[in-house]
Amino acid sequence: MMTAHLPSQTLELSALPKWQLPTTVKGAGIGLRSVHYQYIITEKPKVNWFEVISDNYFYAGGLPLYYLEKIRQDYPINLHSVGMSLGSTDPLNFDYLRKLKKLAARIEPDFVSDHLSWISVNGHYLNDLIPLIYTEKVIEDVASRILQVQEFLGRRILVENPSPYLRYTDSTLSEWDFIQEVVERADCYLLLDINNVYVNAINNQFDPLEYLNGIPKTRVKQMHLAGYEDKGNYLLDTHGHPVHPPVWELYKAALSRFGAIPTLIEWDTDIPDFEVLMAEAEKAEQLLQKVG
Amino acid sequence: MDVIALQNLFYQAIWERDAASLEKLSKKIAAPPNLTPVESLAIYRGNVIGTLTKTLISTYPVCGQLVGEEFFEAMAGKFISQYPCFSPNLGDYGEEFPDFLANFEPVANLPYLPDVARLEWHWGQVFIGENTKELDFQRLAKVPQENWGDLIFHLPKNGVLLESTYPIHRIWEVNQPDYRSNEIVSLDEGGIKIFLWRKGYDMRIDLPNEQEWALLKAFQGNDSFEVICENLGDVVDVGSLLPLFVQRGWIADFE
Repeated sequence: MMTAHLPSQTLELSALPKWQLPTTVKGAGIGLRSVHYQYIITEKPKVNWFEVISDNYFYAGGLPLYYLEKIRQDYPINLHSVGMSLGSTDPLNFDYLRKLKKLAARIEPDFVSDHLSWISVNGHYLNDLIPLIYTEKVIEDVASRILQVQEFLGRRILVENPSPYLRYTDSTLSEWDFIQEVVERADCYLLLDINNVYVNAINNQFDPLEYLNGIPKTRVKQMHLAGYEDKGNYLLDTHGHPVHPPVWELYKAALSRFGAIPTLIEWDTDIPDFEVLMAEAEKAEQLLQKVG
Repeated sequence: MDVIALQNLFYQAIWERDAASLEKLSKKIAAPPNLTPVESLAIYRGNVIGTLTKTLISTYPVCGQLVGEEFFEAMAGKFISQYPCFSPNLGDYGEEFPDFLANFEPVANLPYLPDVARLEWHWGQVFIGENTKELDFQRLAKVPQENWGDLIFHLPKNGVLLESTYPIHRIWEVNQPDYRSNEIVSLDEGGIKIFLWRKGYDMRIDLPNEQEWALLKAFQGNDSFEVICENLGDVVDVGSLLPLFVQRGWIADFE
């Protein structure tokens, strides 16, 4: 457990109020995308909470921030990032983290999350979630970077499991063992993407239930559900389809193991009418209520 | 292999398409059963290039309209191969695209294209730029008349002055999704000077005349009002234009 040296005493960081994860967000939420701003503001649909890609709101002003703050007046909003590059060997990008911290101060999210992957090397950004090597050394490095991020942001973050299309021969651990160690050492939480577990399991031919059983129960604070695309010889995580039936089945298994964890419907390409997202969220909500 | 070496190799293989790196990296990869290592890596390259291409398409929609989807994607591919992304934020990507177009031989027959692209880039930047404040008239009224010469007037912080020898504002206008006419823009309409800015959340493309342009440029240079009057007094009616600028919202602040 990490400790902070304060003037008069030494405290466990987890004991400080700022490190407690708020719990206002419950049930099923929906990924907020710009095509739906007007609908949400006008219709005020019954949605428990939204999540946005933080990076889209790192600007000085303008309409996107206006809409975000307007919608925040009526709904809780969580921040999901793609640019921390937690697994990179580059120095942490504090300019990026400063913008994220500023946005978090404006929006007051329950959860701030990013991915267990890397997107940059030598300052060149690939802007895609590239897999990590699963070794003890990488656990140490990634956990250390997450701790630095948490110190800087003044809050615990959630890290999301990836959907890798390859693994490295140098990896010595399963993905679930790797994740378990990272979240314990970094004292962070997990955003468990059920679609990613399924896509990963089909592509890399393992039992997704074994994956779920390898994830520590107390660390999962949020889940993601999305649709993949079947490319014939592999599944591609596109977030452009309804949640597929086997992913719903896996979600039920996840709810049995982890309980009624707040769950987001993610849809990023070929974004449909808001009612379609509402229907997906309603499906998740019913399953959540069964275990809740 | 250590992590730094592997990440560098990954970059060389999928971004630089370096054959030796691809071969070396492939030996370090256990691909899913239905894919070869090279096919696995191709998924990542496809994602990386696809994301940057989509970013350029959304930043430069009018350029896309002008050259057609297929041509634009090929052109974007050429650009991407020369310009890596140096930011985690995709909104920062593509600033060099107008300059790239100016030197891209296949579009040499569309000489206005780089300036249209420049307008589109700045449009995006103004859209997400700092919010404009309205001029504080009460504070201005309190400035004693004898001190007016020392004042430095500021344009809205998100404002941009653009100049082209082509009617890019008209080309831009007739290629908007909500434009309802099949009007053809003639290049004979000539060049244009544009003040692109945002009033509140409303995007504005204003077309200043020569005198207004000269005064806007002078304000942008942060000279004192006295210096501006001295420099422009013979050619610009500063005294008449200043209230007009204030009325239009072109003056946002002063010091």
